[in-house]
Amino acid sequence: MKILVVDDSKPIFLMVEQMLKELGHVGIWAENGQDAFEKITSDSSLELVLLDWNMPIMDGLEFLIKNEQESFCSAPIVMMTTENKPEKIKEALKHGASDYIMKPFTADIIENKIEMVCD
Amino acid sequence: MIKNEIYKFFSDYVYKHTGICYKENDYYRLDGRFNTLVKRFELKDVEELYALYIQKITPEMHQVLIDLCTNNETYFMRDLKPFKAFANEGYAYLLETFPATLSYSIWSAACSTGQEPYSILMALESFGKGIDLNKIRMSASDISSEALAKAKKGIYSGLEVQRGLPANLLIEYFSQVEEQWQVQKSFVDKVAFKSFNLLTGTFPIVQEHVIFCRNVLIYQDMENKKAILKNICDALRPGGLLFMGAGESLIGVDVPMKQLQLGKAYCYAKEK
Repeated sequence: MKILVVDDSKPIFLMVEQMLKELGHVGIWAENGQDAFEKITSDSSLELVLLDWNMPIMDGLEFLIKNEQESFCSAPIVMMTTENKPEKIKEALKHGASDYIMKPFTADIIENKIEMVCD
Repeated sequence: MIKNEIYKFFSDYVYKHTGICYKENDYYRLDGRFNTLVKRFELKDVEELYALYIQKITPEMHQVLIDLCTNNETYFMRDLKPFKAFANEGYAYLLETFPATLSYSIWSAACSTGQEPYSILMALESFGKGIDLNKIRMSASDISSEALAKAKKGIYSGLEVQRGLPANLLIEYFSQVEEQWQVQKSFVDKVAFKSFNLLTGTFPIVQEHVIFCRNVLIYQDMENKKAILKNICDALRPGGLLFMGAGESLIGVDVPMKQLQLGKAYCYAKEK
């Protein structure tokens, strides 16, 4: 499965990419919401988006709201963030996130969430 | 190098009290547990541990050993399908099979740290259609006192609540306490937790409408598995349901139960 990992931290992307590789998936990097928007609109083969919240240029919530208005992303979007307050989780789900991963996480949590949202 | 007689002594003891079988080629799996026990009792090495246990096993020493040797691997909504199926087709089956019943008795027979009974309640309320939880009597048991103590508190780490649990259920049924997550109080209060050894405990007779006994019999040999399943079958009411783990079955076990498909999941129903 080809998965877009949206995170401004390259070390985090590399860590997630490695986890995805071990699970048999391919991770593609986007540095922020704007970069993710450009990659999604030019590559229809992306099947899932793992989205950080706090990023420069366009953050995760802004990305969700933009997608709510423009529906450019048909793949499920799962938040992957250090934001772990219930209000934040509610807000992300309200704006279209399919599920939510709180950092820190393990490979089996990613695997489990992928199974749930792509089932 | 740990002597074979030490491994044999502990593996025999654990087998006798739990049915969990450490065969000779599995002995290495006891090494880490020995180290924990050595630290726990402030001893020098495994030889001293052996000397302590062979002399006299106090209730505390027994419980610490059993807690260590039981596998508490579990997570919320494990395999998901059985929970969805039980809340929909399973509950409809109960209504049809037990039309005069005012409340249904459900037993999570090896509940470990509590994720299973709480998942059953969450599933009934969120996946089911208008199920009144007042009609559910939920009990849950485990052999490990440490696991049960955690289950009774209903407090889990961020990692634990993310394993298997969709985020919408997390925010609906849990509150955040500092960095941990507390299951809603009405669920904690609803589950009657008790200590129970599936191998040596006295089972209830014709009492339960539903028993969940998932991913526990895989650790038992055939003889113990047959004995436990006979007791489980006796504990069910005629028509009652048994949910086992993915990959577990009644093959080779002679009990009056037949496989039943509920939605996308399979369980067993005791003959009426």
